[in-house]
Amino acid sequence: MSTIDRREFLKLVGAGSVGTGAGFMLAETIKHPLEHLIPYSIPPEEFSAGIDTWYNSVCGMCPAGCGISVRTREGRAKKIEGNPSHPVNQGRLCALGQAGLQVLYNPDRLTAPMLQKGERGSDTFLQTTWEEVLSSVAERLVVSRNRTDSIYFLSQGVRGHLAKLFELFMGGLDSDNLWHYDFDHPHSLYAANDRLFGEQQLPYYDIRNSRYLLSFGADYLNSWLSPVHHSLGFGHSRQGGDGPRGRFVQIEPKMSISGAAADEWIPARPGSEGILAMGIGHQLLAKGRYTAVDADDWRAALKDYSAASVAERTGVPAETVVRLADEFSRSQAGLAIGGSSAGNHTNGVDTLVAVNMLNYLVGNIGKAGGVVFNPDPVSGPTQSRQANYRALQDLVENARNKRIDVLIINNTNPVFTLPKSTGFTEALASIPLIVSLSSFMDETTVMADIILPSHTYLESWGDDIPQPGVGFSVAAVSQPVVSPLYNTRATGDIILDLAGRVGLRETMPWSSMEEYLRDGWREIHARSETDGENFDSFWRDVLRSGVWGENTRREGSVVINKRVIDNLGVAEPEFAGSEKEYPFMLHPFMTNAMHDGRGANLPWMQELPEPMTSIVYGSWVEMNPATAKAMGLHDGDMVTVSSAFGSIEAALVVFPAIMPDVVAMPIGQGHSALGRYARNRGTNPLQILAPMTDSASGSLATNATRVSLVATGRRSDTVRTGGMARQLGRDIVQSTGGDATAAEHSSALNSIPIVVEST
Amino acid sequence: MSVSIIHTLRVLRPAATIVLVTLLGLIAGFYANAAFFPGTQPEQPINFSHRIHAGDNEIPCMYCHIQARRSISAGVPSVNKCMGCHNEIAVDRPQIRLLANYWDAKEPIPWVKVHDLPDFVHFTHKRHIAAGIECQTCHGPVEKMDVVSREAPLKMGLCLACHRKNEVEHGTDCWTCHK
Repeated sequence: MSTIDRREFLKLVGAGSVGTGAGFMLAETIKHPLEHLIPYSIPPEEFSAGIDTWYNSVCGMCPAGCGISVRTREGRAKKIEGNPSHPVNQGRLCALGQAGLQVLYNPDRLTAPMLQKGERGSDTFLQTTWEEVLSSVAERLVVSRNRTDSIYFLSQGVRGHLAKLFELFMGGLDSDNLWHYDFDHPHSLYAANDRLFGEQQLPYYDIRNSRYLLSFGADYLNSWLSPVHHSLGFGHSRQGGDGPRGRFVQIEPKMSISGAAADEWIPARPGSEGILAMGIGHQLLAKGRYTAVDADDWRAALKDYSAASVAERTGVPAETVVRLADEFSRSQAGLAIGGSSAGNHTNGVDTLVAVNMLNYLVGNIGKAGGVVFNPDPVSGPTQSRQANYRALQDLVENARNKRIDVLIINNTNPVFTLPKSTGFTEALASIPLIVSLSSFMDETTVMADIILPSHTYLESWGDDIPQPGVGFSVAAVSQPVVSPLYNTRATGDIILDLAGRVGLRETMPWSSMEEYLRDGWREIHARSETDGENFDSFWRDVLRSGVWGENTRREGSVVINKRVIDNLGVAEPEFAGSEKEYPFMLHPFMTNAMHDGRGANLPWMQELPEPMTSIVYGSWVEMNPATAKAMGLHDGDMVTVSSAFGSIEAALVVFPAIMPDVVAMPIGQGHSALGRYARNRGTNPLQILAPMTDSASGSLATNATRVSLVATGRRSDTVRTGGMARQLGRDIVQSTGGDATAAEHSSALNSIPIVVEST
Repeated sequence: MSVSIIHTLRVLRPAATIVLVTLLGLIAGFYANAAFFPGTQPEQPINFSHRIHAGDNEIPCMYCHIQARRSISAGVPSVNKCMGCHNEIAVDRPQIRLLANYWDAKEPIPWVKVHDLPDFVHFTHKRHIAAGIECQTCHGPVEKMDVVSREAPLKMGLCLACHRKNEVEHGTDCWTCHK
């Protein structure tokens, strides 16, 4: 053996130490990490570690008012499902409703009250205490209430007791300017129902029991009124009953999801849907399907709508008009519905009156499978507060004229959903104080001076009466399913606190929204058949089941307003912009995932493919292949879409099921705020809309803007999950052949070239 | 003349020695960690003694770990529960004062987990209690411990051995525990 010299020895010692240290650390790294067992100080009553607790509540993601059941564990919400006992959604829930968890746990939530410290809109907010913000808001309210109508309250659409609370509050402040603003509120449908039936509420469209559904533009399976309920009805009509399978016809310029699910998709010129309905009405009378005493009056009113003239005005072949009338009146219960794009034209109300008229002419009012009127809601505001476009224009005008001292905004985002041409954002500069109650820093909240961060719907008390109803009385209580995550407060509690500070304790004596709600529900308890059950146990039952219902149906038949006949008629739709300069009609459409833009900050919704194009993230413009070919445009070309009121850029998507002179864009992307997932993604087509209104309802005609398209020369491929639209002989989509009439008439449909570009 | 590679190897000898010593050190370090720092008896925020509670005073396990028979997790008692007794009993002892401090602040006690399974194992207390397994089978004689330590290795072999011995139905299927 050789001897080890000093140098060698030191080397070995070093090697040994390094090895031992490494071995020690290795053992340390593979150890299970240290975990804690954190008990509650005082556990909630129903808490059990490791055991689910389900709470029934109401979904707050869209105005449909579905019931939800939320699974919680260890005090955290884990999953949202539909409440099986709620008559609106019967256990089902849409994707947006499921994504409510990402509202609750969103990393971009507002976590504390804030004051704007810099320039308005500069997003330099400083966190502060509730006491400070509430006292400064109350101070300003006290000053401004002396000036009549100088306080404005613009809220998202709320129903039930919260709506009543707002009324009390604004009444106490001597201001009548309490408005609800929802972008998708169907103003024209309400106006049409009022004109034809004298009804203030929407009726229930019984799709479930209908065997023939004629939908004029209403995207009832995706975004119209109550899509989950409609989908249930659709499914039942298709394959749930014993009778014949329901037939669905969709009339619209761009195929929606409802159009794709229909047996027949009929493109009619944008805004001409009402004329088509009148044409069908003309046929019904001509064929003697309507025989009441006033048949002659109707015949006279509809005389200008012969099949030939309607065909010319709508682009739908005359024989199709005749056939639709035939099918509609022949089948057991033909139901006509109208809305979405058809109601968003300058003739929207006329169109929807014409559509409703069809139900009347075939005697389908108040019957199963027809239009069923709802009983009066059990609770709610005394009058409709929904702000139509005209009301918002008035608000802008009043702001400019310095007639508004304080604007309180509750969870609605008009800066995003109103066209730039409205001047809403600019008008805000003339309002001395803007207060926003919101859970997120959206485009409108950024403009606020004071932010009062509100709870999400999963943390607050409330109640809801679904609108449209389901034919009988329904109300549901929304209860907190988790304790508040941050230093936020429920909207109702904020209002009650402010009421106390401005001296309205006498009219609003409740200490919390929960107390107010319980108090209000005593009335509902009183009218319910409870067999002497006391209120507390009634209240527990309602919370447990999540819904209250009463089998009261509307008594008596609804009488049609005879004067309607004299004013019957659908004018040609008007469009902003000349056809020469702006050759395309812009068709903005809502998707279930984005809704009016509120889904854009939810990653699940961003990555949910839009069903018709399978695109995720971003915005796009849909164009007919023949038009694209003629213009030399290809899928993925970046184009500038310009109206007379602005221009935006988006990638072109060649989409076969759209009329050649229509381009469609999805609504909801293009945020400049609303958090990391929404910001700087896609474009917002609403920004370039012209301020066209339907004079009969005062609502914005969102589909009445003409645009031009110019290639930018750049390309940007949209992100799609679908790969390609062609089958390459793989026979993936199988057709059942359909019936003979459909095949026959597909040739008549050739006025719309559906050409798939060969790639 | 014979050709030998010994000469060539001899050159590498110092390097080989170093590698060998490093490896030996690695193994020694690894086991030294396991032997002297096993982590089976972590320090707790309060020196709670199971011997006094479960041993001397014979309080049943499920008086405090109330969820064991109906949930996947046995659950630790809430501070509220501890105070139920310690409002009256032994209130002046320093460790009980510590408890009272947590209670006054309405803060939870951050107990350190002694028995922990990886997240990919689905273990449920409820089923094992229902099958009549004693708590001590996995947790050791807790009623004799002043400071709880992990006696059983809680590795897969332990689970399988018991499942085999008791002939548990589907007891050795992967998906029984890894779901």
